[in-house]
Amino acid sequence: MSKNVSAPLLRTARLLDLVPYLNTHQGIALKELANHFEVTPTQLSADLMTLWMCGLPGYTPLELMDLEFESGYVTIRNASTLSKPRTITFQEGVALLLGLDLVASSLPEDRLDLFATVESLKERLAKLLDVPVKLSVVAATSGAVSTTISEAVQSHTGLQIRYHSLYKDQVSDRSVMPVDLYESDNHQYMRAYCFTANDYREFRIDRIETAAPSPVPADFVVQKIDAEKITFSITGKQPSRDVAERFAISDMPTGEEIHLSSYSRQWIERSVMASGGAVVLNSPVDIRVEVAKKAQLMLKRYKEA
Amino acid sequence: MSRKIERLINLTIALLATKRYLTKSEIFRTVEGYEGSAETKERMFERDKDDLRSLGISIDVGSFDPLFNDEAGYRIKSEIYQLNLGEITPTEISLLSLAADAWQGAAFADATQSAILKLSSIGVPADPIDIPGLSPKLSNSSKDLETITGAIGTSDFLIFDYLSTNLLTEERTIVPIALSNKAGLWYVSGVDHDVQEVRTFRLDRVIGSITVKKNKDAFEFPSEFELDQIDSTSTTSSAIIDVRKGKGHALRALATSLKDLGEWDQIRVPILSIEYLTAQILWHGEDVFVHEPSELRENIVEQLQALLINHE
Repeated sequence: MSKNVSAPLLRTARLLDLVPYLNTHQGIALKELANHFEVTPTQLSADLMTLWMCGLPGYTPLELMDLEFESGYVTIRNASTLSKPRTITFQEGVALLLGLDLVASSLPEDRLDLFATVESLKERLAKLLDVPVKLSVVAATSGAVSTTISEAVQSHTGLQIRYHSLYKDQVSDRSVMPVDLYESDNHQYMRAYCFTANDYREFRIDRIETAAPSPVPADFVVQKIDAEKITFSITGKQPSRDVAERFAISDMPTGEEIHLSSYSRQWIERSVMASGGAVVLNSPVDIRVEVAKKAQLMLKRYKEA
Repeated sequence: MSRKIERLINLTIALLATKRYLTKSEIFRTVEGYEGSAETKERMFERDKDDLRSLGISIDVGSFDPLFNDEAGYRIKSEIYQLNLGEITPTEISLLSLAADAWQGAAFADATQSAILKLSSIGVPADPIDIPGLSPKLSNSSKDLETITGAIGTSDFLIFDYLSTNLLTEERTIVPIALSNKAGLWYVSGVDHDVQEVRTFRLDRVIGSITVKKNKDAFEFPSEFELDQIDSTSTTSSAIIDVRKGKGHALRALATSLKDLGEWDQIRVPILSIEYLTAQILWHGEDVFVHEPSELRENIVEQLQALLINHE
């Protein structure tokens, strides 16, 4: 809302919202009130002075709002017309609905009570908005897994995780010491020291299938091994959105060589295979040979069957 | 400036307190702040009405005595002005706060904060939920979320350039009906103006910005539309695929049934798109073998032949 609304209008909205808030927080400290509305105490005093001048037509003391500042504490009387909070706007309602959906999909599965509460809130909000709007958010990670992981990060404890590596097409059990969580390209990652690999690893949280707290060696030895990036080059044969997204390139002019790099041989090989006839891998030669060999073996099997 | 703010508040109070419609002349006579010539007052009032509406306050226009007086009157219905979510519990306040916090630093951060401010005025204290680490966040991949939700509310057209599967840019015009987020990606669904059918678009494939065009026609919400349609489960055709034990995890995750064949498992996977499934299968190399349908097999064989020729 604030982006399209001018400063005097924002102030009007704040004054309208101040009245119901004061009504349920009688005797609140001016400073606390200013904090709550994210303005300076001076600005808030000016707001209250303005409110003082407002009321029902007639504007005699009987009709004006009655605000009392007593040694830094504020009370309000005679404000029944504005005493209830304003209804939420469409944007606010939509944002809350989407947020609630995410909260619901992040809850641990056994909290049926909270699921029911979220559902009831969503229904009431949707009724308030009064449009057949469909909104949904599905959390990328299971509630139980993300809860366990954030707990471990906060309390610096180890984890036993079952991780699905897409490149290796392998599900492995690993003992890790989480370092931190971060977001990149719309995915959440956990940086951790992996005792199974004896190195730092990054794990995409939505590929962690299970996670449980587990003790780690009290004085584990950290050996940092710098992995080396493999450079490779591809040439596009036909434009494909899927291929462009897979290799994270914005454009793929047909016939032009594109130089890229990756930490994983397997990723390069699998990505080229998945791209079918749309892409040619020029180098490294050993991966190129491997792709041709695989394609030949697979073709043989399809022809025999 | 504060004169104008006072006038807006006084106008709101007057229109809220009245049980019947107030005519313009009554408003000018009784609400403080309307001064000057008739024309000036008129202009002030028109602007004030627009200002209140932009704050989300809807002003009802009607005639208070339709038989004898056709002069329009104005009022704000308190049941529409006031927040009415029924009885709110402390747990609900906490859940709503979590929902608002999910937008921290993202598109709707301002909107949710102002909503929380209003909710806090109900005077119900929050009852913290005892789930440690529960603070889900919504990634903000699109600056266009506000534009989209606005257009969902008004059933207006959204016009945008979309990256097609063959990397061409196509202009699309839709009436949006749904917004969803799956695995961190935002999707907008809407009735495509050209085909008159519901289509779903991934927001990170939209090129440039989205423009809104007023929709003057009445829009009928497609009643049969469910967000689940975006899911793969609603397709009718499926593929029968052999997957080596301990391999093909991404495909196994899509399977609707599994048969143990010893060294291999046979799974059934719904087909959302032949191209997508082909890429998934090729990704897994020799660990996966397709039995049916022949359309999928032919596509795979064709891609393998191209791979072989291109890399020999």
